[in-house]
Amino acid sequence: MSRKVVGGAFGVLAGAALGVGLLVLVVLIATTALQAAPITAMRAVAEAGISLSLRSLEVPGTRESRPYVTVAQAEAGSPAAGLGLARGDALLAVGGVSVDRPSRAWEAVRHAPGGREVTLAVRWVPRSEVTLGTVRAAAGGVAVVNPSPAAQAAGLAPGDLLLSVGGIPITGTRQAWEALVVAVGARNGPVEVEVERGGERRVLRWDPAREGELPFVRDPLRAWWGFLTTLNEPRYPERAGLLPALVGSLYVVLVMAAVAFPLGIAGAVYLEEYAPTNALTRTIEVLVANLAGTPSAVVGIIGLEVFARALGAGRSVLAGGLTLAVLTLPTMIVASREALRAVPRTLREAALALGATRWETVRHHVLPYALPGILTGTILSFSRALGEAAPLLLLGAFLFVTYVPQGLGDSFTVVPLQIFEWATRPQDGFATVAAAAIVVLVTLLLLLNAVAILLRNRFQRRWAG
Amino acid sequence: MAAPPRSLPRAARGRSRRERLATWGLTLAGLLAVAITLTIIALFIQGSLPFLRTVPLREFLGGIRWAPIHEPASYGILPLIGATLVTTGIALIVAVPLGLLSAVFLSAYAPSSVRRVLKPALELLAGVPTVVYGFFALRFVTPLLQGFIPDLGFWNGLSAGLVMGIMIIPYMASLSEDVLYAVPRSLWEGAYAVGATRFEAVTRVVIPAALSGIGAAFILALTRAVGETMIVALAAGRTPTWPPDPRQPLLTLTTAIVNIATGDHEATAFIWSAVFAIGLLLFLVTLVLNTVSYLVIQRFRERYA
Repeated sequence: MSRKVVGGAFGVLAGAALGVGLLVLVVLIATTALQAAPITAMRAVAEAGISLSLRSLEVPGTRESRPYVTVAQAEAGSPAAGLGLARGDALLAVGGVSVDRPSRAWEAVRHAPGGREVTLAVRWVPRSEVTLGTVRAAAGGVAVVNPSPAAQAAGLAPGDLLLSVGGIPITGTRQAWEALVVAVGARNGPVEVEVERGGERRVLRWDPAREGELPFVRDPLRAWWGFLTTLNEPRYPERAGLLPALVGSLYVVLVMAAVAFPLGIAGAVYLEEYAPTNALTRTIEVLVANLAGTPSAVVGIIGLEVFARALGAGRSVLAGGLTLAVLTLPTMIVASREALRAVPRTLREAALALGATRWETVRHHVLPYALPGILTGTILSFSRALGEAAPLLLLGAFLFVTYVPQGLGDSFTVVPLQIFEWATRPQDGFATVAAAAIVVLVTLLLLLNAVAILLRNRFQRRWAG
Repeated sequence: MAAPPRSLPRAARGRSRRERLATWGLTLAGLLAVAITLTIIALFIQGSLPFLRTVPLREFLGGIRWAPIHEPASYGILPLIGATLVTTGIALIVAVPLGLLSAVFLSAYAPSSVRRVLKPALELLAGVPTVVYGFFALRFVTPLLQGFIPDLGFWNGLSAGLVMGIMIIPYMASLSEDVLYAVPRSLWEGAYAVGATRFEAVTRVVIPAALSGIGAAFILALTRAVGETMIVALAAGRTPTWPPDPRQPLLTLTTAIVNIATGDHEATAFIWSAVFAIGLLLFLVTLVLNTVSYLVIQRFRERYA
């Protein structure tokens, strides 16, 4: 009885172990897709015309650092530019949600109630020269030289010395504006500005923020299409584009295929149909198995040293494709050999009996018969190459390629490298675009795998008997 | 072969020439693997010579400080070896039991229809690009673990190792399943005939019979973990520490190569030579392990063929 219990428990345990692996795969795909979701709102903000960056103000006399968001870029002719937003302005709130990091702004757009199109109130403090006017550093604060109309309206006059804003001491010209931004952002309304005028201290109440309404289009299809088809803008994740990496991947894989496909089949035909059973053949077999297991970083060093430097291909599409060919050749050979081995002995014997030479037998009978199996293996090893990053990272770290490669000699980036580059950047939003690129890459790989499985099934049906 | 040849002797000559050409071409393609391997070995020995001539082997393999770009430079790779052992060890702790149990389930418990679906599904784990695993480790596993282990760093060896373990499950499972499946039916039947349950047949007869093959699968998974680059580059950090602590950032052998190759500074010829020395070490270790694994599997196949 207890023997049965132990045995049953073991079976359950073994099944559970298999389940763990599959569960992690599902969790991986699901969490990555979730992390990519904010891309719709990010691109909606970018399409409204503004790119955002994170800045922060060190509060004098404390160790406190207060983050705020500036408009890094306002596209001419966009709704945002029409509203008066410009480069250097500080964004305070979107849709009534106060914003102190770029991700807050994107989340505000993402979670705002409404359908595909929403119009949200935005609050911002215009850049220093519009808000304050001309100021210069002075002892004990910042002297107002020529106040802007807004500053005049608030009561500032030429010759005033700014001492503090919202309790934050003023120490510099840029910092005076930053203190104003942070204070207004925190108070969400007028703040107290401490001024010295003619040796006398006075306190003004001032709200320099402006308000307006911006339309946002939250369309996932539009966002993903934009992500796939635009050039990369490396500084702003909301304008990140995967096009250069997609084209780079395509080119590199084509070069790799042109080299590895014929050589892989030829090597497999040699080992399976021609090679005598001797020590050399055994050595070749061991070496092929070895190369398939060589760390890809080591292959990357070879690519850099042989293709990029010795052959003078540089850090180009050609060098990248050849490096990947070295990496995939062994797996191509192993997969093609398996397909050749599945061809029945009788077929070869029939051809030879009719007077065909060995090459004719291979060329006209064995290869056509094995081709679907070879193609299945080929697609699988190509899909491995498509996801490979380490050897290409070594080859040249083309992490900042923002254009589409035009030919074999151009430098390039590939999707996995672009993912690596985005994933290593700590700023808001880059994790989102890295996740989005992963969704694209994994979808591509799943499609390739599905094609391979379809081919294999077709092949098995045709020659099952 | 559309038109009949005009003169047989010429056609025969053409055929035999084609035949010779094909034989030569195919032999060359077959020898390519030898050529690539020899190139790798020659290149790495030549490339690492300037380094190995200057830095004593004892300092290289036994030194505990890796600082190739600092002054004074120090080239001890013990921290890198330690980091590689930590991440590889964690990965194997995950992958060996899960992979082996999955293999047992597939070969001994699952009906063949289930096996046909689950085995390719499990192999999908090996098809996920490693940079994707790295992102998963950095952005999902590490934050998750930080809930349980408060002093876990943003970069750490633990989550990189765990995720690497998931990645190598298929290498462990697939080959183990192949060898378990290849154990002859007669051994199963013998075990059942003397009254063994399925559990007893698996653990006392089939697994011992397949042990050498399982060992080969283990070695294959081990070499994958030792050579893995992107997961550790993303999730384990870039800091050489001694002694290595899985909760802290680590620098493995592979990431040390990436670090120098992609660093902001222009690597001098001498530092680059150090990269070759590390590459040579990695290549030799994987060469030995892969060869052992391959030969063990071959012998296993011959025994039960």
